[in-house]
Amino acid sequence: MSGPDTPLPRRDPGVEEILRTRRASGPVSRKLPGPVAWFDVRNRSTGHLAFSLNRITGLGLVVYLYLHLGVLSLLLGGESSWGGFLEIATTPIFLGLDVLLVFGLLVHGLNGTRLSLIGSGFVPNHQKALFWSLMAFGAILLVYTALHVFAVDG
Amino acid sequence: MTTVGRSTPTTRTVRVHRFKRGDDAPRMEEHDVPVEERTTVLEALRWIQLHADPTLGLRHSCFHASCGTCGVRVNGRERLACVTPISEVSGTVTVDPIANLPVLHDVVADMAPFVARFPEPHPIVRESELLPGAATPDGIDAFDRFEDCIECGLCLSACPVAATDDTYVGPAALAYAQRLLEEPRADRDAILDWADQDAGAWRCHAAFECTEACPSDVRPAQRIMSLRKDLGRRRKEQGREASTPPSSEGST
Amino acid sequence: MTTETPLSPERSTRSRSWRWTASSGLALLVLVTIHMVAHHFVVDDIGGLRTYRNVLDYISTPIIVVIEGVFLVVVTAHAMLGLRSVLLDFGLSERWRSLLERTLVVLGVVTVAYGFVLIGVLASRA
Repeated sequence: MSGPDTPLPRRDPGVEEILRTRRASGPVSRKLPGPVAWFDVRNRSTGHLAFSLNRITGLGLVVYLYLHLGVLSLLLGGESSWGGFLEIATTPIFLGLDVLLVFGLLVHGLNGTRLSLIGSGFVPNHQKALFWSLMAFGAILLVYTALHVFAVDG
Repeated sequence: MTTVGRSTPTTRTVRVHRFKRGDDAPRMEEHDVPVEERTTVLEALRWIQLHADPTLGLRHSCFHASCGTCGVRVNGRERLACVTPISEVSGTVTVDPIANLPVLHDVVADMAPFVARFPEPHPIVRESELLPGAATPDGIDAFDRFEDCIECGLCLSACPVAATDDTYVGPAALAYAQRLLEEPRADRDAILDWADQDAGAWRCHAAFECTEACPSDVRPAQRIMSLRKDLGRRRKEQGREASTPPSSEGST
Repeated sequence: MTTETPLSPERSTRSRSWRWTASSGLALLVLVTIHMVAHHFVVDDIGGLRTYRNVLDYISTPIIVVIEGVFLVVVTAHAMLGLRSVLLDFGLSERWRSLLERTLVVLGVVTVAYGFVLIGVLASRA
């Protein structure tokens, strides 16, 4: 029988115990299958929206990283190869994708800043206000970038 | 026809999750339930049990949000059925068991995996009653009742990490660990070691849905962030100790 | 009902991944800004995009090589740590977690190596 002076045992979080009790029971009730639940913001609040946005922009940016390296490899083909890419890259659709990239960078970067703060234990009670104010700032930057990207003439 | 409450009754459609052990798959059943202005979801479910289908499995006890046993999802949101007025729910009222836990039957979840996540044993006895004018013990600035946690499991149900990771200890257990740290008799190292795991405090992605779902103002997300702050502080202290050369004391 | 397994020493500080993710992320706030400004706001062409000659002129400057090299390392590290964090949310067993971590290290090293080869080849053509 443990008393007030009995220290907590140094042990793992009882992961095996959790899994054992889980296996002993029936099917688990889930909101949606697997990772789809990460992106279901219906009936959820600001924090979940931030989590979903951060996750989807993060995964998108990882895909972009490799696409970007692939595109930059065209430089190895010389001026004609890169010139061919620039012809596509300067079309309105592609410039729009550039703006989408900036959107992803801003959301991920600004929300990441928020996560660094609250995840370190600072201002967790103001996480909603922090999110919306950072996104408002990001929106201003996005509009400025979009105007610049589409306005600069060749 | 029996109704609950005192105002003019209307009828609401209630869709209930049905599942018994041995069933191939869960199904949803609809019932038209007479309700009044102050009818709660729990009362509507009990009406179904008493007047339409006695095989409907429910779990409830106190009727006033202090036992935590009637946690369900109402139209996708984690709620305590006993204090959720049907009038606050729009459209068809869909009642599911809380998520991320096995279903025992119908809308009743198996709480054993929820309880298994908590660090054991609990060496600290906390007072559940507070006399008016009581002074705080030495080392405690103010009383902060973690007894607010009614272990309803709504936080675990709302957590997006628990939706895919059954090993994550979850918001309730982590909030409990943080509360233990506030006790002066706590073995801080043991508690922090327990929390300092991939399946512990570092698995939280700060969605704060646990805090949103909590009916008792425990604010588990804030407590997890506080736990992380304590872990960071300990790491710095350990770093400082490691870099400080041992003092040479005079020998006898 | 509960089990008591001893805490293994190498699992004593799991904060390292989170700290590196946060630190690299904060560093990227600066590095990405520099990178995006350099490639969209400096050249007066459509979208601010550089021609082949512009790219070679840009990458031939030693300080630029250093900045872009650091950016490459930091962004790859952040990406691998982020991927690790997302994939760990599937509740992987120790065996799969170990495999995942090793795979991400290899992927990260290959990515950085390829990026440096690219920088090196382009810088040499300037």
